[in-house]
Formats: sequence, C-alpha cells, structure tokens
Amino acid sequence: MSAPAINPYRIFHFLAAFGTGGLLTLMVLFNGTLAQFGSLFFSSWVPHLTGTVAALAFLAVLRPKRASTVRAPLWAYLGGISGGVTVMLTSASMNSALALSGTIALGLAGQMTFSLFADMRGLFGLPQRTPQMRDYSAFGLIILGSLILIFFGQGSA
Amino acid sequence: MIFVIFAVLGGVLVSVSRQINGRLALSSSAMEASFWNHLVGLIFITVIAVFAGGLFAGTPAAAPWWAYLGGPVGVVFIAAGSWLIVRIGAAQTAMLIIAGQMISGVLLDVAMGTGGNLLARVTGVGLIVAGMWVSASGKTQKANDKT
Repeated sequence: MSAPAINPYRIFHFLAAFGTGGLLTLMVLFNGTLAQFGSLFFSSWVPHLTGTVAALAFLAVLRPKRASTVRAPLWAYLGGISGGVTVMLTSASMNSALALSGTIALGLAGQMTFSLFADMRGLFGLPQRTPQMRDYSAFGLIILGSLILIFFGQGSA
Repeated sequence: MIFVIFAVLGGVLVSVSRQINGRLALSSSAMEASFWNHLVGLIFITVIAVFAGGLFAGTPAAAPWWAYLGGPVGVVFIAAGSWLIVRIGAAQTAMLIIAGQMISGVLLDVAMGTGGNLLARVTGVGLIVAGMWVSASGKTQKANDKT
C-alpha cells in the first residue's frame, strides 16, 4: 500500500523487536520449567547468575564500543532491581485467583500504558515521542489479538 | 484486588526496567547495560532469598539441562531491548516484543502439540499481524527523532 514510505532501518528494527519477543517465549519456557523443579527464587536466581557470566563472556568477545565517555547516572545501573521486583509481583499474582492468564493480560496492559506515557514524556532520559493515531490502532489490534490468545487460545481444545 | 495491582505493577516495572537499561545503553553499550541488569538483579535476588529462605528448595538437580539456558537467552533479550528502545521508543518496542512473544508462543504450542482452540489462535494471530501491518505501513514514526 504505502510501501514507498517504509524506511529500511525501521523494518530492521521492527523485525529485531519481533524476534526479541520470540526470545521471551524461550525464556518463559526455560525459566518456567526450572520453577517446576526448584523454588521461584531459584528459577529467577539461576538465569541471573548464568546471565551475568554470559554477559561477561559476550563483552569480552565482542568488546562493544562505548557510546559516550560520560558515565551514566547511578540510577541507570539499577534496572535489574525493577526486574527482580517484577518476578516477585507476578509470582504472587499468578498464584492468586488471577492465575497465569490474568497476570499476563494485566501485565501487558500495565506495560503498554506505561510505555505510551513514558514516550510522551520522554521519561528516564530517553527521546520523547508523540504516538500517532496509527500507533494507537496498531496497539489496539495487537493487544486485542493477545487477549484472545491468552484467554481463548489454550485449554478449550 | 491487591493481586490486580500486583499484576499491573509487574507490567509497569517491565517497562521501567527496559527504560532504565536503555538509558544506561545510551552512555555505554546495550551489552554492558544487559550485564549490569543481570549482576544487580542477581545481587538483589540473592539478598531477598537469604532473608526469605528456600532458594534451593525442591529438586532443582532433576530439571532438564536445557531449563538452565534462560540466562544466556535473557542476556540477549535485555541487550536487544536496550538497543531498540532508544531507536523506536518504549511503546513500539513493547508492542513488537509482545507480538513476537504471542506468535512464537502459539508456534511453540503447536510444535509441542499443546492442545488449543484453533479459531481463537487464528483470530488472535490474525489481529496481531494486522496490527503490525498497520504499524509498519505508516510513514516513519513522527517523533522527536529524524530517522
């Protein structure tokens, strides 16, 4: 349709983000399997431990160039705490009446709403962006499709 | 009710984490941001687990070997998210990661023979693909960047 408007970099970013979502499915499978044998702490602790080692190995081999010589503010090093708290909150609500599907659905809603708000305000020192009508339509379709998969895609075979 | 707040807050924190890591990647590199994310997370979980106990409860040695591969995959996942959020924004990054997770989840279920509702799967995947098409067919996102 409006193919000439598509920027090749944008398509690359687009596909990379889509593929990154596939990695998340693998993580859920691996970490979830671990949680069936060990405690929830263990199933979050192990990937953080092996991840730290793997990241060091990647850094040693790839030696990525630093984007800036200026150090990031101290708080920028604390993203892992936010991730750690997430594990606890979601494990608690997964074991409540919300179950896994409710937890995932509400989590997606929280994630999308806050991401939109953060883009509009340019929170945490990231570039500010104003979502367009097209973005809202795309978000709506993807969230609706996700909700259908979460609540009706499984179990009722 | 408290669990509804927990679940929503969990999603918000996923987004917060990606933004903080993205900010760190702006000053260093995406892989370095991923390293700090994992190291700080490891220290944090270790401290909590020491207080709460039960880190090694259960029979973790009985888990299949591949269940231990979540860490390396997570490193690439966090690095990719930190790299992307600076370039396409928090909302687009979240949206496409969700789309990728949902569609690959269906593919995995089909591959592993997990039963499911075919109509719901086709409808859900169709809506997600339509959403991605709507997003991709637009002009470059009008933002305060010029790409």
